[in-house]
Amino acid sequence: MDKKETNRFCDEKNFSNFFRKNSNSLYTYIYYKCHNGELADDIVQDAFLKFWSNCHKIIPGKAKSFLFTIANNLFLNEYSKRKVAINFKKTLQKNYTNESPEFILEEKEFHSKLQNAIMKLSEAQRIAFLMNRVDGKKYKEIAEILKISIKAVEKRIHNALLNLRKEIDNI
Amino acid sequence: MKQNYFLAKWLNGKISESTLKNYASEEEIRSYKKIIAATKELKTPDFNIEETLEKIKLAHYKSNVKKLSPIKYIYRIAAMIAVIVTSSYFISNTNTIYTTNLAEKTSFELPDNSMVNLNVDSEITYKAKRWVINRELDLKGEAFFNVTKGSKFTVNTSLGKVQVLGTKFNVVVRDTYFEVNCYEGLVSATYNNKTIKVPAGSSFKILNTTTQLNTHIVETNPSWIQNESSFKSMPYKYVIDEVERQFNITIEYNTTLNETLFTGNFTHTNLEMALQAISIPLNLKYTIFSDNTVSLQ
Repeated sequence: MDKKETNRFCDEKNFSNFFRKNSNSLYTYIYYKCHNGELADDIVQDAFLKFWSNCHKIIPGKAKSFLFTIANNLFLNEYSKRKVAINFKKTLQKNYTNESPEFILEEKEFHSKLQNAIMKLSEAQRIAFLMNRVDGKKYKEIAEILKISIKAVEKRIHNALLNLRKEIDNI
Repeated sequence: MKQNYFLAKWLNGKISESTLKNYASEEEIRSYKKIIAATKELKTPDFNIEETLEKIKLAHYKSNVKKLSPIKYIYRIAAMIAVIVTSSYFISNTNTIYTTNLAEKTSFELPDNSMVNLNVDSEITYKAKRWVINRELDLKGEAFFNVTKGSKFTVNTSLGKVQVLGTKFNVVVRDTYFEVNCYEGLVSATYNNKTIKVPAGSSFKILNTTTQLNTHIVETNPSWIQNESSFKSMPYKYVIDEVERQFNITIEYNTTLNETLFTGNFTHTNLEMALQAISIPLNLKYTIFSDNTVSLQ
């Protein structure tokens, strides 16, 4: 085996590039699991540190999946107990004119309903759905990260949306 | 039938809205659209890529420098040796055993000055050298404990487990009969993986798997310490067994009385008085033979 290729990630420059490419995606993935920005930050740091110190063991082409596995294990080992309520920052509204107070209230209500409904989804459905809707990932990318088939991703997203509507419309 | 994940396909742009109408009502579609629009506005907290990368680089090189230092390994080896030495010291300990025979009572002190009174035909086993870190002993029969305050104190029996911190309590385990009386403080008794708190002035009794928690004790010591056995609604056979143990005699009696409930006391100092105490309430007469047997009729 080409040694240079296997140890590619030990080099600082290559590691940095890999980090820039994948860290945000890992961060959101962990965030959907633990719902806490600080925790997600810590897990991302620990995961990349572990990834770097184990760079000799990485099989080319499996680096990303190796990284996500490390992060997932860290999450399960250390942080799964410390679940806190998910809290998405709402992006600033675009410039609506003439918003009536009722309209604002309704918007707020709907937003909190949506958050609750997202929390009630199963972890698998929530992660797949938010990866697609918030991160804008393609089904194929999600399938690779979660190590499932595209069909399974479709199933999770389909069911997530079904459940969200049921929860929000009180069915 | 193949599952159709039409919502996922619609989100993906694989099927159009007019096709979606085949699967969902207009009202449903309106709801879905509202959810989709709202999720677009969701954002995760900001993640600062460059800042995090710097932190990781710093931690990475710091931990790599550390790895070269041999002192860490010396500490590890020293810690391992310490663990092996101490554990082998404790593991190699032998048991200390106290036993009483029929008609024999004793009292002794545990290494932490806790007092134990051991009733007739009983046995206590514990590890003397481990006592400082682990106050735990095994009991067969009946004993009264006056525990000095300190770490957790555990009494293991074949029927259940009793745990305290510092208190006075009595434990009996005979056949299928298990009773804990607490005179001071608070004890917890574990039976069949269930834990029951027994406060001062209460007793917890298990007889043939039926459990009972009473709050009736007014004494400060169990009666047998004052050479008297007292019973409250106990099957007669346990009473007979106790008389046999206290006087080292054999009693012949009508076994149909086995389950008859008996409430009362008998003394340990005078056999005649003891026999009167257990025979008169049931309208029985006793005869003492020379070979340490007694017949009740």
